[in-house]
Amino acid sequence: MFWLAEGLVYRRQESIIHSLDPRVKLIISLSLFLLSLFSSTIFEFIILLSAIFLLGVLSKVLRRMIKTITFSLTFVIMIFAINLLVGYDLIFSIIISLRFIAIISSSSIFFLTSSPDELDLVMRSLHLPYDLIFAFVTAVRFVPVILLDAVQIIDSQRSRGLEIEKGNIFKRIRNYIPVLIPLIVQSIIRSEELAEAMESRAYGFSKKRTSYYTLHFKRKDYFVLCLNLTLVVLFILLIHLFHL
Amino acid sequence: METLTEIIKFINFSFSYSGSNALILKNINLSIEEGDFVLLVGPSGCGKSTLLRCINGLIPHLYSGVYEGEVIVDGELVKNKSVNELATKVGFVFQNPENQIFMFSVEKDIVFGLENIGLDRNEIDSRLEWVLHALGIEHLRYKPPYELSDGQKQRVAIAGVLAMKPKILILDEPTSLLDPRTALEFILLIKELNRKFGLTIIVVEHRIDLLTNVANRMIVLDKGEIIFNGCLKEVIKNKNLNLYGVNVPPVIALQNYLKDEGLIFNEFYLNVKDFSKEIKRRLIGID
Ligand SMILES: Nc1ncnc2c1ncn2[C@@H]1O[C@H](COP(=O)(O)OP(=O)(O)O)[C@@H](O)[C@H]1O
Ligand SMILES: [Mg+2]
Repeated sequence: MFWLAEGLVYRRQESIIHSLDPRVKLIISLSLFLLSLFSSTIFEFIILLSAIFLLGVLSKVLRRMIKTITFSLTFVIMIFAINLLVGYDLIFSIIISLRFIAIISSSSIFFLTSSPDELDLVMRSLHLPYDLIFAFVTAVRFVPVILLDAVQIIDSQRSRGLEIEKGNIFKRIRNYIPVLIPLIVQSIIRSEELAEAMESRAYGFSKKRTSYYTLHFKRKDYFVLCLNLTLVVLFILLIHLFHL
Repeated sequence: METLTEIIKFINFSFSYSGSNALILKNINLSIEEGDFVLLVGPSGCGKSTLLRCINGLIPHLYSGVYEGEVIVDGELVKNKSVNELATKVGFVFQNPENQIFMFSVEKDIVFGLENIGLDRNEIDSRLEWVLHALGIEHLRYKPPYELSDGQKQRVAIAGVLAMKPKILILDEPTSLLDPRTALEFILLIKELNRKFGLTIIVVEHRIDLLTNVANRMIVLDKGEIIFNGCLKEVIKNKNLNLYGVNVPPVIALQNYLKDEGLIFNEFYLNVKDFSKEIKRRLIGID
């Protein structure tokens, strides 16, 4: 179960990229994402993917970035095959597949280098409603807790003789019922306790909630932002003026 | 002697949760003075948590039901105040600290409540420093919850409510997930808060021996009724205590037993050390 999300989940690390303002990381990720969306030649994708992998190296997350890509390889092959089958030519099918890879890996830059905490800060700086931010934060906060609950329930049901990996696919799905029911009950109890604790911490007390945390660009953030803008403009000019 | 102020008062209070007609609390009359350290005990399901919820307003605001009589906290009727408003008067620490830490870091979690009540940045700064220091958790400041031990989580949970500067701190079975040593350290910490800041404290705790030297009042609840209520030293001597699912500490049980055997001590000793000193004195005196 855990390996599934591994490629996309943030891990505490240090690098030049990690230390940037999360808004800058978001903008870099987003620029590469948009450029991938609108690029249409193999040459463009070679440049974009090189840039993405270079960022992967700089931020020391290349290996996990590749993991994410290999994980989505099944989709890539499917997309490639479907395109060929419906009659598009080979080059076009390759381009579509490259675009998919570029989109996945460019968005992974942000998620691999920004903690959920930083995502929280980004949302605050965008002035999203706090209810929404709080919902997001608690969801992310409690995903591992509930996964751990699940692991414990599976273990205890196993020790009572439940054999999860037995039988055909339908039998196996049925095997999960003794895990799911206690997990749901436990999660309901947890959410009731959370509701009590939220109330007791004055959640929703006043309309004017203080925003204690604000983000501030540092000098290097401005520098990277400018660099990013320059490179994006350069890329677009190069492609469109010289029809490369 | 200084005059005592009543900070919590129940007057002819009864409650049952909506959807069931069982009376969970029956005609409760109770008053607790500012600065009291109250130990609340009773068999599970007797209504301890329900009683506590009435103090911080979760009842009747989050849990509705048949609500008779009055509950007054710090001079105001609980039913007229929202849980949110009461949060600055009553801090509530629940059994499972995991479910009261919402944010990704200790600091952010403490700040969460302070942002909610709309304090300005400077005030948040100073309360943050104060509470981290008061609970000795400065080193945990930037840690995410999953890197904390259970004992540390429980401290962080207290920090979150203490930062709101409540007058009353309620702890519902706070040590049930802690090992005995951590539990003891935790109780001593609460005592420190009681002593230093004059915080009124109510603790539900099954391991009574942890609190015999710390609490000054003891309330025994059974089937929604108050059975005993008074000075801990008086209540704990009661021989019928074990009928109400109370785990009487061995020193107390021993003294009760000796009393039945006709061995009278002029005082009641709450801990082994004092009692053994007394026995030694007696034995030497007899010799
Ligand atoms: N939210 C609720 N709705 C209905 N009944 C409840 C609720 N919470 C507790 N009860 C019932 O109230 C009684 C007292 O529960 P509680 O106050 O939690 O006891 P204690 O904390 O002493 O173990 C129990 O019989 C319990 O089933
Ligand atoms: Mg309870």
